[in-house]
This record gives sequence, C-alpha cells and structure tokens, in this order.
Amino acid sequence: MGRTLPSITQAFLGEQESFARFRRALRRSDQLALDDLFATAHKHLAAAAHAAHALPFEIFLLAMLLEEHKEVLRLRQRLEGALARSDG
Amino acid sequence: MVERSGWLLDLYADPRGGLALWFLDENGERQRLRQDFPVTFYAAGPAARLRAAWRWLQGRPGVSLARQERRDLFQPGLLPVLAVQVAQPAAQPALFRQVSQAFPDLTYYDADLPLALRHAALHGTFPLARGRLAWDESGTVQALSVLDSPWDLDPEPAPLRILSLEPEVDPFHAAPTQLLVRDLRTSYRLALEPARPLLVNLRAILQRHDPDLLLTTWGDTWLLPRLLALSQEWRIPLPLSRDVERGVAYRKERSYFTYGQIIYRGRQVHLFGRWHVDGHNAMLFHDYGMEGALEMARVTALPLQTAARVSPGSGISAMQIITALRQGVLVPWHKQQAERPKTALELMRFDQGGLVYQPTTGLHFDVGEVDFISMYPSIMRHFNISPETVGSQRPTAELAPRLEETVSGGPPGLVPETLAPLLDKRLALKLRLAELPAWHPQRLRYKARASAHKWLLVTCFGYLGYKNARFGRIEAHEAVTAYGREALLRAKEAAEDLGFEVLHLYVDGMWVKKAGASRVADFQPVLDEIVRRTGLPVALEGVYRWLAFLPSRQDGRVPVANRYFGAYQDGTLKVRGVEARRRDTPHFLVRLQEEMLERLAQAQGAGAASTAAALQECLPGLVARLRRVLAALRAGRIPLAELVVAHKLSRDLTEFRTPSPAARAAGQLQAAGKVLKPGQRVLFIYTRGEPGVHAWDLPQPPNPASVDVARYAELTLRAAAAILQPLRVEEATLRQWLFSNAGYLAPPGKPAPPATALPLWVGKHVLRDRHLFPVAGLRQISWLPAP
Repeated sequence: MGRTLPSITQAFLGEQESFARFRRALRRSDQLALDDLFATAHKHLAAAAHAAHALPFEIFLLAMLLEEHKEVLRLRQRLEGALARSDG
Repeated sequence: MVERSGWLLDLYADPRGGLALWFLDENGERQRLRQDFPVTFYAAGPAARLRAAWRWLQGRPGVSLARQERRDLFQPGLLPVLAVQVAQPAAQPALFRQVSQAFPDLTYYDADLPLALRHAALHGTFPLARGRLAWDESGTVQALSVLDSPWDLDPEPAPLRILSLEPEVDPFHAAPTQLLVRDLRTSYRLALEPARPLLVNLRAILQRHDPDLLLTTWGDTWLLPRLLALSQEWRIPLPLSRDVERGVAYRKERSYFTYGQIIYRGRQVHLFGRWHVDGHNAMLFHDYGMEGALEMARVTALPLQTAARVSPGSGISAMQIITALRQGVLVPWHKQQAERPKTALELMRFDQGGLVYQPTTGLHFDVGEVDFISMYPSIMRHFNISPETVGSQRPTAELAPRLEETVSGGPPGLVPETLAPLLDKRLALKLRLAELPAWHPQRLRYKARASAHKWLLVTCFGYLGYKNARFGRIEAHEAVTAYGREALLRAKEAAEDLGFEVLHLYVDGMWVKKAGASRVADFQPVLDEIVRRTGLPVALEGVYRWLAFLPSRQDGRVPVANRYFGAYQDGTLKVRGVEARRRDTPHFLVRLQEEMLERLAQAQGAGAASTAAALQECLPGLVARLRRVLAALRAGRIPLAELVVAHKLSRDLTEFRTPSPAARAAGQLQAAGKVLKPGQRVLFIYTRGEPGVHAWDLPQPPNPASVDVARYAELTLRAAAAILQPLRVEEATLRQWLFSNAGYLAPPGKPAPPATALPLWVGKHVLRDRHLFPVAGLRQISWLPAP
C-alpha cells in the first residue's frame, strides 16, 4: 500500500507544522486568527487534492483568500442592510 | 619593620626596581613603598622554535626560563609553553617587544597585561582595598594582606583628599581667564594670566593640600597640557604627580566606531601617586559620576585613572583576565580562534539578536512591565555559557532552544565564574535600594554603583561575540541570544496562559495588561509562572497608570519598538525614544516635552476610563503651553543657548559629499582654527539663508535676528506632536490649531480634517491600527464628524 506522494492531508499538516516557529512568536490573539485561516483552508482539501498542484501551499493560500472574500461579501451585505434600515 | 592598616591608592612599575605602591595608612600618611614583583609571560609554538627562543633569551639579566604545560581556553588539553619570568616589571614590555619581533611566529600569552591586574590576581588587591602592610626600613613591602573584597556592599570609605580644578568657561567655546580651585572647605580663583603667579600659587596649593585625586573638567584635553607647557616655559616645576620623578603620562586621542556610533575619546593625562580624572573625558561619567568610577575601579581592579576612562568592555575584559590568571588559564595576546563553519540554515536560525516585538500602538492603562533581571548575564551564569563550554563540542543548534536539558553539570566556565559575584552584588544592591526610603542619602551612592554594574553586565554579553575580545566566541554569543529569545517566548506564553494581553516584548522586558489587574499583587502570578518556566530571575519594574507606544515618525501605521512613554502609579515617568531623551535636542524643546510629560503624569483617575478622561482634560493646558513657547520663539525671548543643537560629527569633514548642518558648522569652526574629529559633538544654531547654521563655538556670537524661527517652530511642533499623539491629536491637526489661529474646541469655519489621518468610522467605533476604539474618548475633539 505504498504511496508515491504524501496525501493532501499530510501535505497540509506538514505545511502547518512548518509555520510552528512563526506561530509561536505571535501574540495569542494573532495565533488564534492564524489557526482560523488554516481551518478555512482545511475546508477545501478535496479541491486542493483535485488540483494536484506542485506547490500545494499556493492552493492553501488561495483557499484562505476564498473564505476571506466570502466573509467580506457577507459582512458588506449585512452592513448595507443595516444602513438601509437606519435610514428608512 | 613597620606594620599598618590602610587603603591601597596606586601601583605602577618602578623604574628603580619592582613596583611602586602608594598606601594611605591609618594615620593619614601617604606612603610610597616598593614591592618585588616578578612577572611572567609565555610563548607557544613548534618545539624547535621554542628552543631557539630559549637560547636567544638565555643569560639576559633578570630573566629566568622554564618549560611548563598550561591551559589555553580555546584548545583541548594542556599546551607546552616557554615561561619567561622577568624580575623587573618595568623591563617586561621592552623585552617582550624584542622577543616578539625576533620570533613573530610564536604565539604569546600574558604578554601585555596591566600590572594592576597581575597584582589583583596574586594578592586580591584593587583600588582603595583595605589592607594590612608590613615594610622594612628601605620601604620594601614584606607582607601584604587584603582585609576586604570588591564585593562588599558598604566598604569603609577612605579619607581621600580631593581637589577640583576647572576653568570658568568651556575652553573650546571661549578663552577662559580664570581657574577655579576647590576642595571641601576652601576655594581659590586664580587668574590664568600672567603665568608666573599662577604656577607659583598652584604649586603652593598642591603642596599644601597634597590631594589624592585631581578632579578636573577639560583637564585631559586642555587644562593639564596647558599647565605643563607653561611650567616648562617658565621653568617652574608643577608637582601634578606625587611621584615627581615619574612626571605625567599621555595617552593619545582617538575616534572609533562601535554599535553604529562613532565615539571620540580625547587625549588623556595620567599621573603617578595621585589620580587625575577629567569629568569631561571620562566614559559614562555623566551617568554615574565619581562614585560609579570608584566602583568600576573596585570591581575591575583597574587603576582608577584607567577605570574612569575606559569603556565598560575593557572593564569586563579586565575582570576576565583576573579570573584567567587565578585559574591558571593563558590570556592570549592576539586571539587566533576563528568561527566554526556553519550551514546557511544554521546561520539564519542563530545569527539573530534578541526578540523584539512591534508594540500595540496607542494609549494603554494599568500596564505591568515585567523585566528579566540582567537577562543575558543571568543566562550565561545559569546555563554556564563560556567560550570553553559552548560551541566547540556541540553545535549551538542543539543546545539553544531546550532550556531544561542544557544546564551543564561541569565546573563553571571562565565567563560565568567572572560574572557570578557581580550579579550577586547588583542584586543585593537592588534589594538594599528597594528597602531604603526615597529621601535616604545612601540611595544616590547605591544608584551610581548599580549603574556601573549595569554597564559592565550589558557589555559582557557583547564581548562574548566581539572577535577581538580575548575570551570571545561567536557561538557562545549566539547561544545567549537563543536562550534569551526562548525565555522571552516562554514569558509571553506564561502571561497569555494567565489571561494577560501582551502589548510588547523587548529583548528582556514584557509589557502586559488584563482587565481587573491594576495592583502589583495582580501581576505576581505572572512572575511566578515565568520563573517556573525559565529558571531566570524576573522582577516587576512597575505598574503604569497609563502608557503610550508611539508609531514611527515616517509612517503612523507602523509601530516602532523603542518609542514610548508612560507614568507609573507613583507618578514617575518612563520615557524612551522621544526628543527629550536625545542628546542633540535643543534645551528649550527638552524642557517643553518634559513639562508636557510631567503634566500628563499627574493625570489620575480611578480606573482606566477616568484616567483617560483626566488625560484628555490636560489637552487645553498643553496646547496653551505650546502656544506660549511658540510666541516666545517668534518674539526672540528664548535665550540663544537654549536653541543650541548638538549633533555628532559622523565622519571626517573631507568625506562629506553633501555636508549636513553639523558638517557645515564644523567647517566654520575649522575655518576659525578649531578642528573637530569624528565622534565629537558640534554645537550650532539654525540660521536663515546660507549656510543655514552658525557654529556655537565660533569667536563671534550669532546674531539673534538671524535665527531660523520657522525651522525651530517646526521642530517644536514635531516635539509636541510626539507627546500629544496618544491623545489622538495628529501632527496635522496640531498644525491647524496653532498656525491657523483656530480655537481648540470649536475651530472657526470648518477646517477640513487632515487627509493623512482620516478616521474610518464603524458604528460607534473608530478603526485605527486595525483595532476598534470606542468613540467616547474622542468626543471632545469637535472637528471630527459625529457618527
């Protein structure tokens, strides 16, 4: 049952592990934010596996960006709704 | 045979044989004694060359030779050496020079050590050591025992006679006409011209008072050389040294580059049998004064005249040499050891300094500052870091990050052994200081001594990494910073685990806050936890009522590590990185900033919100103060001396392509015949038009009408803005208030908010530095659009 390539989950954990020194030197609040970012990237592991990209971390970054953008869109919608209500 | 107790004053090689030893005995008599003191230096190399050196040295008078095996710290095992013992210490430098020229390929040890250090290693002496001496009729010391140690906290003070000499004005600014001569009881004013009566009177005063210490200002660079020249010209001998035969010794001036700064040290005049200290040319004298210089001499065992003038680096080096001599370790003359080759990754990971955070900018309340006590020296001691214990056997990479494993079980290395008593003394002094009430007269003494210790401890770390230091090794230096970073990260984690927010980390200090924590006791659990996790001593420096971390001057969004100020709960201020702390700032600006800070330090409230409000209430008063300073500036009511800027000359005048203001001022001085060296400060005033400056030390004073008022107004505004920034007053806003004559609370018309700092409103909060702040604190500044 040998694999020639590490599974995408292994690659993901490896990348996360390689940032351990960076993470450790962050303030606790920033550490939690960083963990959130990795958690959002984790949601797209299946797509990342499918992409079969030579540099998986680029895919993970894009996945983080994707989730961030979704959050921006959601907040913008809420803010516009709230402003419309307070004007009207 | 005579036997007496007393204090050791001075020692040096006596050209007539042995050592000259000055002793202040219990009867108040100053004795010039002599002591036999043969000195030894060593040579190592191929056996054939050592034999050749032996034959070359054999038969010289006063030289005895031996083959020995001794320890070189940088080599495993013992080293076969040729030991050259010289009976007369005065003859050793010349003999060594000849040998090293005849046999340049040999490695030399213990070759250029100050005699005082050899004496200290053998007899435990140091300047002003209490001792008991016995001497015969010829004044030759037969027995010597030292009764106290440099580590005593309260040594019995020696009844020193001090005479101070100073010209009435700075001789590099104007020509002095008088010399002020003072001791504790009397003072004289001698006219510098004519020379004859001056010399005769001064000689009489020196003979009558017979001081142990001549304390001068500009004595090295101007006064003593001038007096000696006059004395020669008029053939009136001036007994500046007690040992008239030895006269005086000069050391040359020099400029050197260290820690990103260019330093200038003036010429030095050293006396024999009497000390000369020039308060203007002594290293760090402005920081710790005579008390600190004496302490430096006690703990380093260097003669006071040297100790007062050398850098703390040379002081720590002296202490290491004594340890080496006592342990029988060879002291290299020129160090040969090079850095071990490292991989790029190793270098990336270990060639780093301390951990420095970007602080959370803005105003904070109830902040605790936790400091590691003498962090780097404590690390060296705790983890036994020394050139011989670290780096050679195991790569630094293995040992640094795991604190627990690495406390070496071996005997203490040379560096920890040297540091241990100094660390203990500093800690004992700190404890003593903490017990004494604020008014206690001993406080100042202890503080000066603690300051001398601080400088020694600070530099001992740098000396581990300095390639020319005799006991430096870069791997040991790297290990210290690696342990330091690890310890600081552990401190951060300890604080965060206890629910504190970490605002800033700076090499050996940490600033934390937590809702509800405002008393000293609230921070104690953090301290305990840090000690548990690191094994290093920490202390709570204090709790700030309020503390402001300032952003960079260039970009308000970028925090900088060392620009902050705040008030502790007792109202004392701590200020770093603003103009008031810089030595080039004109006096009137230093005072303005200090006054503003003092005013803010008084702001007090119960809890964060009311302290914030109290700070905001200071604003109108501060702005009014600023207006008055600007008005005084425009009306020419600020004395010219207060406007003087003091910049360091960074390089030689010929090396400037576009001359800085300091270089232009130095050029004016050069044209007037006063030459400045790199590292010296140039005093000048900004003037209108070309060349834009007027050197302060020119013979003709500057014209008050030519002062560049606009430039000074700009500097004033900047200095004030740095202080007001944490109160949410931007420089541009301040400019508008002051220069458009707008009122402070309700500006006439509606000036546009400054484009640089347009706040972004989010609901009832304003977004700054990626943090949301409640609007409440801002309401008083009415030009902001209401949410």
